[in-house]
Amino acid sequence: MTTQEITATSDIEIAEASRTNLWRDAVARLAANRLALVAILPIVLLFFIAAFGPYLTPYDFLAQDFTARLASPSSEHWLGTDELGRDVFSRILYGARTAVSVGLVSTAISLIVGLVMGSLAGYLGGRVDMLVVWLTDVTRSMPALLLAIVINLTLKVPLEAWMEQMYLATKNTFFRQTMWVDLVLVFGALALIQWPGYARLIRGQILSIRSRNYVLAARALGMPTGRILTRYVIPNAMGPLIVAVSAGMGGAMVLESAFSFLGVGVQLPIPSWGKMISDGLRMWQTHPHLLVGPAVMMAVITVSFAWLGDGLNDALNPRQWGG
Amino acid sequence: MSVLLDVQELQTRFKVRKGYVYAVNGVSFTLEEGETLAVVGESGCGKSVTMLSLVRLLPPAASIENGQVLLRGEDLLQLDLRQLRDVRGGQIGMIFQDPMTSLNPFINIGTQMAEPLIYHRGMSKSEALARSAELLEMVGIPDGEARLREYPHQFSGGMRQRVMIAMSMSCEPAVLIADEPTTALDVTIQAQIVELVKALRDRSGVAVIWITHDLSVVAGIADRVIVMYAGYIVEEAPVDALFEDPRHPYTVGLMGALPSLEGETGTRLTTIGGSPPDLEDLPDYCPFHTRCPYAFDRCRTENPMLELVADASDRGHRAACWVDIREVEVQSNGAGASS
Ligand SMILES: Nc1ncnc2c1ncn2[C@@H]1O[C@H](COP(=O)(O)OP(=O)(O)OP(=O)(O)O)[C@@H](O)[C@H]1O
Ligand code: SF4
Ligand SMILES: [Mg+2]
Repeated sequence: MTTQEITATSDIEIAEASRTNLWRDAVARLAANRLALVAILPIVLLFFIAAFGPYLTPYDFLAQDFTARLASPSSEHWLGTDELGRDVFSRILYGARTAVSVGLVSTAISLIVGLVMGSLAGYLGGRVDMLVVWLTDVTRSMPALLLAIVINLTLKVPLEAWMEQMYLATKNTFFRQTMWVDLVLVFGALALIQWPGYARLIRGQILSIRSRNYVLAARALGMPTGRILTRYVIPNAMGPLIVAVSAGMGGAMVLESAFSFLGVGVQLPIPSWGKMISDGLRMWQTHPHLLVGPAVMMAVITVSFAWLGDGLNDALNPRQWGG
Repeated sequence: MSVLLDVQELQTRFKVRKGYVYAVNGVSFTLEEGETLAVVGESGCGKSVTMLSLVRLLPPAASIENGQVLLRGEDLLQLDLRQLRDVRGGQIGMIFQDPMTSLNPFINIGTQMAEPLIYHRGMSKSEALARSAELLEMVGIPDGEARLREYPHQFSGGMRQRVMIAMSMSCEPAVLIADEPTTALDVTIQAQIVELVKALRDRSGVAVIWITHDLSVVAGIADRVIVMYAGYIVEEAPVDALFEDPRHPYTVGLMGALPSLEGETGTRLTTIGGSPPDLEDLPDYCPFHTRCPYAFDRCRTENPMLELVADASDRGHRAACWVDIREVEVQSNGAGASS
């Protein structure tokens, strides 16, 4: 064996050891965090139900049982039935699908917009920065629900009219499904409400990390900007971003519920928890089972996302690894 | 000995909301091959900004308005960013005040140390890691190879400063700039770091610029000293001349031997009160006059140039003061404590 081979193998060993170390440590940290562990279960369950809900439900979400309208929980209908005799448990399972798609899609959109705007502001500074900050301020100064209502009221009719025109022009039945209008409006409103938070976070992270000593030290060693970005800025910004995304997912689901509650949410044939809560609220004194199920789900999921975010932040942040 | 670094008329200012802050005002000095130059002065007098200006590592608000930074005859201020990166780390290494935050917490020591070697020296990763292990041992961290796998949080402050020194020296720079490298450390650790840099300097022949508030460190390490105040060099001398025969009132004050206006001796400068001014304009007065016990009328209307002192024992002994403090009594109309 030549010396070169010896160093080469030890190199691989070193790289391997460091990688497994970092991950093992992170997983161990996460596992040691009780709240985060508790939170993982409902979240995994949520995604599982969202994916496989239709195969799990005892009833179709639209199936009406006229003999058992507004029935209390029983062995037949575990969480009872609603006004139309639809099985509440089945509808909650289907509602997970709405919640997850709202959480994922709106978070993805607002995160991308926030990343782009925040990075531009943080990196270019000057006028661009001022413009972005101003935009975020303006957006954030408007009450979220009001914004959603305004968007719905002003854009829904023209958008539907446009869809109709497109249908007449193209004869594509895609344009006949008005459910897309709802989705676009809801996702759009959620993204509009949420992007400023991400943008400000990213901007702040970039500004603060850029002035950290280890970035200065890396620049003093002549490291190029790209490497500093990928090895120094991004990993160090990850922790807060993960927390924000995790909380943001929960937040988006709650907001969507609020939209539904106000009648500007997803009007899919598929149930949404927010819609169920708002329907249930009308008769919670006589038929509390209509409210309890979706409300509990909503609360559990929101809290879980927040706890998981905190746990991930601690686990992925070596500064808190003691020592 | 030949001149390695020749800084001429360096001027750096910061754009602030209501105008500018003049942080470095026409600083000129030289550094010879293998020489150790100490830069002293209170907080805020422009030591760091001067050094960061040399390799243009300044914050966005700063701009270099004038000057030349000749490294072996090549003006660093004229280089493009790519060429400048080769100088940073490759020819001029830097270590900073706070070792606790100078390392990236997300990357293990080995990877961090290997980066400049790969980038500047074109080493393979395995070569760079092997070299890094040697470097760790060289700066007094035993079992270097094992420690490469560790993360910064597993190192103490003193250890981290050793790592920073190893990194900054890894590409064998011609100049090492140490910006208060011991300020954040315990006293015993401070002494160890000073000894380490001295040993490395003597072995490699690197020229060192050592920034400090602390004159006691200067005596042990420096060949020559620059004293800065309000962005100006106010005195420059070989280390012995400076300690035996300081000529600028501010230097005397730093040494804790400035006569106060009340006539007592041994009062420390800091007890006279005040701090270096943030200059909003280039001054047409001596920037020290508000704190100087020797100040007289001329000090408030004309800023003295850095000039050879009278009866200099060394040709390199210069000071910027209108007064020969060996001959003049403290002025009763001095502005010092009264302002
Ligand atoms: N980001 C900034 N914006 C505006 N002014 C600044 C900035 N950084 C430094 N300055 C100005 O430059 C002057 C010199 O600062 P510098 O950091 O060089 O001082 P220093 O001598 O290194 O002090 P210390 O001993 O505290 O490190 C300061 O007084 C300050 O007014
Ligand atoms: S020039 Fe005047 S104010 Fe300035 S240091 Fe000398 S005596 Fe003091
Ligand atoms: Mg400084």
